[in-house]
Amino acid sequence: MSEPEAGRSGSASQAERASVLQLVFRRRGALIGAGWIGVLVLISVFAPFIANSRPLVMSVEGQLSSPLLQNLSAVDVTLLLAGFLTLVVCVIRLSASVRIAVVGIASLLCFLLCSQLLNPSRLTVHEQYRDASRAGQIEWLVSAPIPWSPKDYLRDFGDTGLQPPLIQSSRVHLMGTEENGADLLSRMVHASRLALGIGIVATGIALGLGVLLGGLMGYFSGWIDMLGMRVVEIFEAVPTLFLLLTFVAFFDRSLYMMMVIIGLTSWPGYARYVRAEFLRLRQLDYVQAAIVAGLPLQSILFRHILPNAAAPVLVAASFGVASAILAEATLSFLGLGLVDDPSWGQMLNQAVQSSTFNWWMALFPGFAIFMTVFSYNLIGESLRDALDPLVAENTAATPGARTASGKA
Amino acid sequence: MLLQVTGLQTNLQIGEHSIQVVRDLDLHLRAGETLCLVGESGSGKSITALSIMRLLPAIASHPAGRIGLQRNTGERDTGEADDLLTLDETALGKIRGRRMAMIFQEPMSSLNPVFTIGEQIVEALQFCHPDMSWDAARDIAIETLREVQIDDAQDRFDDYPHRLSGGQRQRVMIAMALVCEPDILIADEPTTALDVTVQAEILALIRRLQLERSMAVLFITHDLGVVAQIADRVAVMRDGRIVETGAREDVLFHPAHDYTRQLLAALPENLPADIASPEAGEVLAGVSDLQVHFPRRGGLFRTVRSYVRAVDGVSLQIRRGEIVALVGESGSGKSTLGRALVRLIKPTAGEIHFDGTNVTGFSRRDFHSYRRRMQFVFQDPLSSLNPRLNIQTALCEPMAVHEIGESAEDRVERAARLLEDVQLPREFLWRYPHEFSGGQRQRVGIARALATQPEFIVCDEVTSALDVSVQAELLQLLMNLRLRFNLSLLFITHNISVVEYISDKTAVMHRGKLVEFGDTDSVCGSPAEEYTRQLISAVPRIRAA
Repeated sequence: MSEPEAGRSGSASQAERASVLQLVFRRRGALIGAGWIGVLVLISVFAPFIANSRPLVMSVEGQLSSPLLQNLSAVDVTLLLAGFLTLVVCVIRLSASVRIAVVGIASLLCFLLCSQLLNPSRLTVHEQYRDASRAGQIEWLVSAPIPWSPKDYLRDFGDTGLQPPLIQSSRVHLMGTEENGADLLSRMVHASRLALGIGIVATGIALGLGVLLGGLMGYFSGWIDMLGMRVVEIFEAVPTLFLLLTFVAFFDRSLYMMMVIIGLTSWPGYARYVRAEFLRLRQLDYVQAAIVAGLPLQSILFRHILPNAAAPVLVAASFGVASAILAEATLSFLGLGLVDDPSWGQMLNQAVQSSTFNWWMALFPGFAIFMTVFSYNLIGESLRDALDPLVAENTAATPGARTASGKA
Repeated sequence: MLLQVTGLQTNLQIGEHSIQVVRDLDLHLRAGETLCLVGESGSGKSITALSIMRLLPAIASHPAGRIGLQRNTGERDTGEADDLLTLDETALGKIRGRRMAMIFQEPMSSLNPVFTIGEQIVEALQFCHPDMSWDAARDIAIETLREVQIDDAQDRFDDYPHRLSGGQRQRVMIAMALVCEPDILIADEPTTALDVTVQAEILALIRRLQLERSMAVLFITHDLGVVAQIADRVAVMRDGRIVETGAREDVLFHPAHDYTRQLLAALPENLPADIASPEAGEVLAGVSDLQVHFPRRGGLFRTVRSYVRAVDGVSLQIRRGEIVALVGESGSGKSTLGRALVRLIKPTAGEIHFDGTNVTGFSRRDFHSYRRRMQFVFQDPLSSLNPRLNIQTALCEPMAVHEIGESAEDRVERAARLLEDVQLPREFLWRYPHEFSGGQRQRVGIARALATQPEFIVCDEVTSALDVSVQAELLQLLMNLRLRFNLSLLFITHNISVVEYISDKTAVMHRGKLVEFGDTDSVCGSPAEEYTRQLISAVPRIRAA
């Protein structure tokens, strides 16, 4: 792309993109979905500040300190920076690829730096601040809105275990406590990171693989297509959940392994979509025109075909995020998720563990999973609806076609 | 008066806007006559037909007007008429198919592919005669198939639509429309998708059936040649209004309205032939004994079963500065030949020459410098432009690839000048393809082809999707550009009148083979081959009776 047109074409394509977004958000469903996801993103970025046993600021013998800030992990800091950069980048006018690159590179650097520099204490005695406070060692403190960490098992209270919300008079647990006595709301807040992360990363892996392989199969067809489709069929035949179960049984329970497995088993769907679009678009005159003009292959593939093939893939991806979240929740529900880290599915698991039905363990995480999956589905559906008529609208934009509704 | 439309108005509700597509339209139709409704795209002629059939979707409304359909015909006529606009769906159901039938443009999609043609005709028949037995209906259906000149009607009855050609399907559609013996047949561009020879047969068929049954026909078309063949009376539409009505001879030979005169003047045969042809130079591009075969695959392992010989041994030479027209009916291989010439399709055998070099076996890299010198303009101006790129990008990208222009700014300036060359304002550089009309898009397509400063351009049916007036401008533009840039053109078309106007030489293709090649005057004036003669005589023309 040459320089002088960048400004003007940028604004034009922004107008075009804005109209797609407007169309998406004209639908109430998409608004609800995006609203819920937005709230989740905020919660997961600020999770340590929302729910933490460590005081935000405290004064010990006249000395001010912040145990919360001192114990932030590399992930916490990176998420904060990424969130902040995203806001900044949205305000500054930049092209989409530059925006993504800025946020991505900065976050990666930040993560690498922080994991070297920061050393949050590995073993935390959560009740130390409460004990100190009771003993009068702390003059005053400002605590987080939810003064419980997700892994704070309240050992200083003798009555820990499954308890419904708000039955203790001495302390507030808005959503009750789980089997080890940790505050459920705090765990819910921290689990939102896992839910968002697994959905986005797993779908990202699947999308990347699917677009690359599907695009190659569709454009080159012939032998590459033949072989590629067989690979697609092989991967489609792998049952995700059983593969996850097998890996969990043999190897360590790791979040990243789950993301990779879900990603590696769900790319064939995207590959099929992209392949079909490439097969169709390859025959279209404007791609033929690009070939006749002697344009290089990468321009034909990434400039003339891919942007026009993106719509159905994006729709499929938003449904894919939802199903990745469900896969993790299922695994955790079966008791094969992460060991200690909070996850909505694992909380659900506890709803029926002791012979009584612990309704608060079913209601809150269940609602969260439902809302998140539902939100992604709503967004996906609105995207699909918004992208379809836009194509029709563009074709009908000629004066002739408008009056005659395509006929004549 | 069989059908009397007065003051008809049709509005379409699109989003928040109500668009008037038919305004204050009056027309009438007597039994046994053919009224041609002629107009360019967007003039509202199809909407008028659908309004009369009351087939428009819910977004359409009729704020004013009356469509009077005579209640009884023949001797039982009492002069009473029903206003179709006031009837409900049940009453309309009794009129559609029985009193008024309709045939459409696309014979390929108008028949249901999962039923045999016989079943579809019988269904139509049992709709208006619910008591009729299958055997009786079958006999009548076969009789009707014979009447529309389907060979072996008895056997064809059990065939599925995919086994019929386009012309045969249109005959079946006509049979379905006629089987209930309607008083009025509305034909919406029934021959536009067909080849000229088939079109001539279908027109003759409609004419004959109409005379036999003394049926009234409302025939919608954009083609004035067809009007001359079939009409008794003509109504010219523009912007939802009828600007002129009258008997065929009056309208075609003594048009009263300016718009009708413009339409007639825009026909290729009426265009002024004042642009001189340059002297033809040496041979620039050519093929010798070119064959393009497409494999037909089948079975478990997709093995090649047979070949479609799209181009089967064609030799053709185009000299510098020459316009060669390539004519043929659909499926004759003319587009395949054009695409093979610029190496969009790999030939099976034979040689492609360009400027004295055999470029057949060239690799992508070797061919790159030739890519610049030979360009292609596509038929469908909408699908030949990437909807997501603006015109500036579409024009500058090929220039950058072929290192034309010193800098990005220079290329933008060149692109702007190209737009001016094709008579578009330079501000259009920043627009996107969907913001243009069909004719403007085709100009952009030509500008893009010119961007690489080619010597040779293949134009594949560049005017087929356009209205006559736009076509006329585009043809004149091409003639001028040819002179200015000393271009050689291979002009692929099915329209003989365009060939006569634009080309120096004409090549006629039939079933993958070159039938005849020579000067346009001799090929079109005194064709040597039988096939060329058939083709040329089938072209509907306007001649004084």
